[in-house]
Amino acid sequence: MSEKPSVLVIGGGIAGIQASLDLAGRGFQVYLLEETPSIGGRMAQLDKTFPTMDCSICILAPKMIECYRHPNIKLLTYSELKEVTGTTGNFKVKILRKARCVDETKCTGCAVCAEHCPVEVPNEFDMELGMRKAIYMPMPQAVPRAMTVDKENCIECGLCTKVCKAGAVDLKQQPQDIELNVGSIIIATGFDQFNPVSIKEYGYKSYPNVLTALEFERWVCASGPVGGHLLRPADGRRPKRIAFIQCVGSRSLLKGGSPFCSSVCCMYATKEALIIREHEPDVEVYIFYNELRAFGKGFQEFVNRARDEWGVKYIRSRPGEIREDSKTKSLTLWYDDTLTREIKTLSNVDLVVLCPALVPRQGNRQLAEIMKIELDDCGFFKAKHPLFAPVDTTMPGIFVCGYCQSPKDIPDSVAQASAAAARAAEALALVQVGGAQ
Amino acid sequence: MTEVVAEPKIVGFLCNWCGYAGADLAGTSRLSYPPNIRIIRVMCSGRVEPAFILSAFENGADGVLVAGCHPGDCHYRSGNQYAEKRVEKTRKLLDLLGIGSERLRLEWISAAEGEKFASVIKDFTEKLRRMPSPAVTSSKKAKVSSVVENESIHDVLKRTKALYCQECGKCSSSCPITRVRPDASPRLAVEKALMGMEEEVLLDKGLWSCLTCYLCRQRCPLDIEYDELIRTCRAKAAAHGIVGTCSHEGILITLQRLMTQPKIKQNRLGWLPEEAKISQKGEILYFTGCLPYFDAVFDDIGVKSVEIAQCMVKILNQSGITPVVLKNERCCGHDLSFSGDLESFAELAKANIADIKKSGASRIVTACPECYRTFKLEYPEISKSFDFEVMHSSEFLAELINEKKIVFPEKFDKIVSYQDPCRLGRHMGVYEPPRQVMTSIPGIELVEMSRNREDALCCGVSAWQACGQHSKRIQVERLGEAKGTGADLLVTACPKCQIHLNCAMTEKTATKHVDKVQTNDLSVLVAKAMNLIPR
Repeated sequence: MSEKPSVLVIGGGIAGIQASLDLAGRGFQVYLLEETPSIGGRMAQLDKTFPTMDCSICILAPKMIECYRHPNIKLLTYSELKEVTGTTGNFKVKILRKARCVDETKCTGCAVCAEHCPVEVPNEFDMELGMRKAIYMPMPQAVPRAMTVDKENCIECGLCTKVCKAGAVDLKQQPQDIELNVGSIIIATGFDQFNPVSIKEYGYKSYPNVLTALEFERWVCASGPVGGHLLRPADGRRPKRIAFIQCVGSRSLLKGGSPFCSSVCCMYATKEALIIREHEPDVEVYIFYNELRAFGKGFQEFVNRARDEWGVKYIRSRPGEIREDSKTKSLTLWYDDTLTREIKTLSNVDLVVLCPALVPRQGNRQLAEIMKIELDDCGFFKAKHPLFAPVDTTMPGIFVCGYCQSPKDIPDSVAQASAAAARAAEALALVQVGGAQ
Repeated sequence: MTEVVAEPKIVGFLCNWCGYAGADLAGTSRLSYPPNIRIIRVMCSGRVEPAFILSAFENGADGVLVAGCHPGDCHYRSGNQYAEKRVEKTRKLLDLLGIGSERLRLEWISAAEGEKFASVIKDFTEKLRRMPSPAVTSSKKAKVSSVVENESIHDVLKRTKALYCQECGKCSSSCPITRVRPDASPRLAVEKALMGMEEEVLLDKGLWSCLTCYLCRQRCPLDIEYDELIRTCRAKAAAHGIVGTCSHEGILITLQRLMTQPKIKQNRLGWLPEEAKISQKGEILYFTGCLPYFDAVFDDIGVKSVEIAQCMVKILNQSGITPVVLKNERCCGHDLSFSGDLESFAELAKANIADIKKSGASRIVTACPECYRTFKLEYPEISKSFDFEVMHSSEFLAELINEKKIVFPEKFDKIVSYQDPCRLGRHMGVYEPPRQVMTSIPGIELVEMSRNREDALCCGVSAWQACGQHSKRIQVERLGEAKGTGADLLVTACPKCQIHLNCAMTEKTATKHVDKVQTNDLSVLVAKAMNLIPR
């Protein structure tokens, strides 16, 4: 093998980015595969991070740019994994690069094309709260900074082609198959959000003032659909009372629910509560929790600060139901205050934020089949040994990190990404010295 | 005294002021009369509930005598008039049961009529001697199920998944009962049981207030089977002799237990319209349920429950179906099962299963969601070979409409709303067929109450247990919700929902304002739309 030993990283979220940077820094060739048009993942969607209250994209964007500029990293965005054969040290990988219809090398990201595009569709990056065009960049900090044509919604009017001064748009572009030889693979596919529509008593999607946590992150984010103002989705009025409901679909034995704890909701709800109080100090914030799981470094202190200094009210209960006043669109929550054992209502709630289970991605099953590795009962990638080989999958040479391995927050994902990178480096080094199993 | 066993036993409910005094006079006057009567003194004949009389028969009486003051002489002005009405109602029930109304006598005997008392007893004893005896074989009340006794409370918690409880309070804040009565909550019951406080759980009055409406189970993230937990705990409580407060002094529960009598021969087909075509053998069996009994018990609240059965048979006939309607059909046993008497439930189930099998039917249609649930979930556990296709009337009607076997000749302009019965909806997941039936009638506009389908509010009572002010508050709330939709008619698909909601509208003691809403069962609505009965 004359060329540099290389590795495929699947998933361009914070875990995938960290693993890529680590391996690239050691001189390995990294292919970073991402199915959406930009790397960044879930962290890019967040407004802030806990417990430090950093602006999420502000600390993530430099890492994204670094990935783009690193000579040892090749970004394969808007791409899908199709086939994996071979064994550790010598995997043959087939990847489909979907037709972006824009030449990444030519596009400057000026977005003039999007101004002219007549088709508007909900923006997935903004959790479909805002709109985008059929030719779009999911977010201002997108990496690579190139437009993408959404062929499903494109009407092929050709306006974008005409207005592009760089001549980057090519609506006739065809999908491309590429084949790579890699010594190792790291999976970092992250999570999906459980859809709380099935929990009918909370009225998600039928009451406009009920949002999920990720929607709320976009809603209050300065780059989000309403420019970061705290508003009621129903009528744009300023809210006075906001409630968070924890464990929506998580720690549940129902069909479609998740038996496990998503591990981050208690903390991000607290963070979002602080964001609210920072925006509008007079808004009352309630967090309905079950067990407050503030287990990390500085977490309990963070919760204490939210409660004592910022006046966030914590109530131990899962509300039974939410009812909407059909005229005012305000919400009433019925709950059993389990510490005092009283059945109470909280009325005139302007906004309810549901904290749904964060679940392994749907696509994991297909990926597992392609790579012939195992998933656990919940759909997470199965570790070779839960204690001593947490980043090894059931197939030598394939490693896993981030939420797709088990529920975890950003620092843990980053730490695990570095661990997976180290394990992958070990496998690659064995190839170099010719000692691959 | 050679045939003591064959001697009829009479239970006499005698009013303190007239009947009892008359008996006293008969005694002091040394009049002789047969020694067959056992006397129970009541302050007024008006106190004698139909349930008392049925209970006497259940416990082995061959005849019951109610004696009160002559009309106009009642010491409480109108007690004897009540007595007359109640006895009349009870006669109907006795006829339905096949025990026979002639075994119940109401006599006006004044304190001065010792002679009359003696002659009434002589005459009644004579008549009873000529009747086939006994009326029913004496039965023990509330039999104990051995299954229940062998299962510890911990095992029950395990079986119903209550060990997973996170005590989040989703159940209790959803529970319609807890909202009006905070001391009775599914969460607290589970909590007590988890702490091993079996006695507290079984003695808790809240155990009997539960509607088993499934709302808590529907919403519980751990899928804890509260309804089953409550059902089992009630059976355990009953095994210790603890019973709930039954509505109407337990008359309906007693009726159901009487139907377990193997020798009973009911006369329950009197409601059939003259032109109706039914059979004792055939493909499709229409299971009437307790409707003829409801009709007799609830004649005073303006609900004609048996109309549901009449309409069903008319609709079936009109669609070219001659259904099997069993002569000696027994109650499905749902209420016994949910009030702790699992043994009697099993007896009813076995008797019904045998009769249904004899009919050769392959499909059972019923307009009662409780029968539906019981057939679908519980009968197969009693008998493995109970493999009939069970359909609720709404499902069957929807099928007939789809097959164009039901046609609606003209528009039926009405705005209707729909009350989801707990057993049909949350328990069995049947939400759409009744709605399909309603909306396929030309002219009908369906407006939903804000709480519908999975979120629907229960009608306030279940298994005839613990009806009271809490039930009324729930019913008043639901009726207000129905009125608020602007509907002309509230359609129900459960005879009991209709009874309970109507009862709240006629409740004399209700102090709160009650919205009046006309109610119709789904089958009655369909029969009207088909012009089978006047609109």
